[in-house]
Amino acid sequence: MNKIFKHAALLVAFQIGGATQGWCADVVEELSLEDLTKTEITSVARKTQNLASVPAAAFVISSDDVARSGALALPDVLRMVPGIEVAQIDNGRYAVTARGFNGRFANKLQVLVDGRSIYHQTFSGVMWEHDVIALNDIERIEVIRGPGAAIWGVNAVNGVINIISKHSAQQSGGFVETTIGTQGKLGLYGRYGGVLDENTTWRASVQGRHAEPSKQFATGADSEDHQESSLLDMRLDHRLGGGSDLAVWFNATRSVLGDLIRVPALPGGVLAENSRQSDASQVLAGRYRWLTAAGIESSLQLSLNSSSIELEKYFREERKTYDLDYQGRYTFAAHDLLWGISHRTSSSSAQTPGSLISLRNYDVAQRTSGIFVQDDWTLIPEKLQLGLGVRWDNTNIGGSTFAPSATLIWTPSRVDTLWAKYARAPRMPSQGENNVTMLTNFQPGMPSVFTRVIPDTRTLRAEKMEGLELGYRTQLSSGFNVDASVYRYRYSDRISSTLGAVDASGFPTVIQNVNICNCSAGWVSGAELSADWQVLPVWRLQLSYAWTRIQMDEAADAAVQADSKHTEQSTPHHHGSLRSQWNIAPDRQFDAWLRASGGYQRINAPYTDLTKVSGYLTLDLRYAQKIGKDLELVLSGRNLIGPSRIEYVSDYVASVPVKVGPSVFLSTRWKF
Amino acid sequence: MLPLLLALQPWSHACAQANNESQLKAAYLVNFLKYVDWPEATPTATICLFGRDTLGGYLAPYEARSIAGRELRIRRVTGPDQMGDCQLLFIPDSEEARYGAVLRWVERLPVLTVSDAEIFTRHGGAIALVRAEGRLQFDINVVAVGAAGLKPSSQLMRLARVVVGATK
Repeated sequence: MNKIFKHAALLVAFQIGGATQGWCADVVEELSLEDLTKTEITSVARKTQNLASVPAAAFVISSDDVARSGALALPDVLRMVPGIEVAQIDNGRYAVTARGFNGRFANKLQVLVDGRSIYHQTFSGVMWEHDVIALNDIERIEVIRGPGAAIWGVNAVNGVINIISKHSAQQSGGFVETTIGTQGKLGLYGRYGGVLDENTTWRASVQGRHAEPSKQFATGADSEDHQESSLLDMRLDHRLGGGSDLAVWFNATRSVLGDLIRVPALPGGVLAENSRQSDASQVLAGRYRWLTAAGIESSLQLSLNSSSIELEKYFREERKTYDLDYQGRYTFAAHDLLWGISHRTSSSSAQTPGSLISLRNYDVAQRTSGIFVQDDWTLIPEKLQLGLGVRWDNTNIGGSTFAPSATLIWTPSRVDTLWAKYARAPRMPSQGENNVTMLTNFQPGMPSVFTRVIPDTRTLRAEKMEGLELGYRTQLSSGFNVDASVYRYRYSDRISSTLGAVDASGFPTVIQNVNICNCSAGWVSGAELSADWQVLPVWRLQLSYAWTRIQMDEAADAAVQADSKHTEQSTPHHHGSLRSQWNIAPDRQFDAWLRASGGYQRINAPYTDLTKVSGYLTLDLRYAQKIGKDLELVLSGRNLIGPSRIEYVSDYVASVPVKVGPSVFLSTRWKF
Repeated sequence: MLPLLLALQPWSHACAQANNESQLKAAYLVNFLKYVDWPEATPTATICLFGRDTLGGYLAPYEARSIAGRELRIRRVTGPDQMGDCQLLFIPDSEEARYGAVLRWVERLPVLTVSDAEIFTRHGGAIALVRAEGRLQFDINVVAVGAAGLKPSSQLMRLARVVVGATK
């Protein structure tokens, strides 16, 4: 009763005072410890609050967001991030980019799993068909759009995705998830974690996935993208005392994914050939973190990766990568200083059966060393902070790169943050671009003229980007956060191709050589918005929207100009999503996700004509019901509205387009 | 009186909905000062905020108030030499990579360490603020509280969601 009077008194005080803000804060301030433990939280997730002082277009996906997305594969989870463009190619293949230039091997996005890069050096991009980590093992995904090269190094041009796994102390006990769905989709995930002693915990998880082939978009016939994949992942954490700790990871993956590839065939036709992509990878990584008496925190990480990839009939590669990375941090006075040094040696040996592809060098060892320093300097406490950073990398193929960045972050009030960022970032040419000679395509009207891409006789230079980004983040009310950013980037020395000599020696078949060169340039502009609204304690809405526009320079060379035009046309101008998370009851959740994208056009390889990829609006639904304390049933549906569609037309490897259509899944999740 | 209270009910409900998580965290930090005994009675009680600041703005209204007979101060800290006169040290979960290091800085100092990282108590921290069942609750590590030379009140122990190291 006493408490009710206190509330009433405060309310009266509020009404008399006429204040419209802050009165609830007063109430919170008066609460006792017991009251606090009983008060419901209604603000949006803590992640948005932690982002308040990050001077970049950052977005954090929590483990809860991952679970409630209803996604089975990692790229589908990333669709919730404004500015991240995700297009499904088939059962396992995706094209994922940040801020334009999408491709099956979108080459300007850096992706790390527990600090280890999974960017593939041959294809320059991420092969999303691998299960790099099980979704159930993800603690959070930090996505930073825009250049991150000053800290993360080359190829972090348009964005960085950091996937962070759960600490083994959070995963003790057992857990099993089984999933069954349409299109013969089966999934099994199992985990067990334990405690070795009071300082040591571990966990091991396994995952297997299976999918029957998709339907071809044009004919409705089965495609060849039959998928089997398996994953074993182990983590051990050991506390050494005195603020130091040790973590060891082991990860092994194996996947087989079929493909139907359209290849130019003599004399002047197209043949859809069955192929199969088999990948395997084993990673052993360890990280040691410690603290010196002077207060310098250090982290040393070593990883060894052995992998193989085979595109049946075309390409086979074995690769070994050694990665060593040191980072230090020291805070003193108004400075927060971060520095690091890293080295990576990646050696590969390749074979190219068949006549479509040939390599200039079959055995390549790429060695990259880098060093960086970053200082966040508080100019006015709680108001103004200046960040300055620079990174230098050297690669034995491609030379040296230099990536500076400067950020200014202004927090005029406790709920508003404004920031500006200038940065430069390089992308190293891939081994593919440096090495591969490939018969790629031909003109629709001239089936006997083939195009053959050949590497430049000189070594390619790094691509460069330089640009400015402005951002604003605000909290409109305790449960409503909004985040907006605009950017304009200049790309130069972008890799494109010019027309070379014509080889008519095989008449009537003529080969038009195309030389790869650093000869294209252009601008990318964009705006992104995300809003996070806790409408009711049990209902949360999240909106994301991105507008992207690419304007390439006019080029005198016809081939460069054609490539530039295609680059402009192949980016959807608008994409966005609206998610709703509703906790019907403590044991029941109902989530809905509306997703939409504008249309665009892509080259219909192996032809050079354009195929229209229509825009779409679709809906995912998810219903989860707990049965008892340890069992949960989840029913989810993806792509439930709108016609079956293609989301992408594969460029690099000309896979036959398949239908992306409705699917339904049932999962059981059991904890023991 | 009763009709008035009933009339106010929707308002009070609306207010209860506006419980911003950061506000609650700030209120928790201030409350902890009331439920823990420090070996030395100081005229001031200082809450130190480490690293990236997420609560400073929400703690500001409490500054200079009298909490358990002591004047409350809020201070930002960045290094080990600044921890000496902190009674309570808050390390946000965004500093996850550093809490092992920071805990070492305050080892054997009479400082109550608090974080909003769920695994903080299992890493030797004293109190972790945890989101559970739609509320903000807390776990307490009595070994860590004892090692710092602090005495938690029985009410604090009773209200904790999880008590770590209680049976030892």
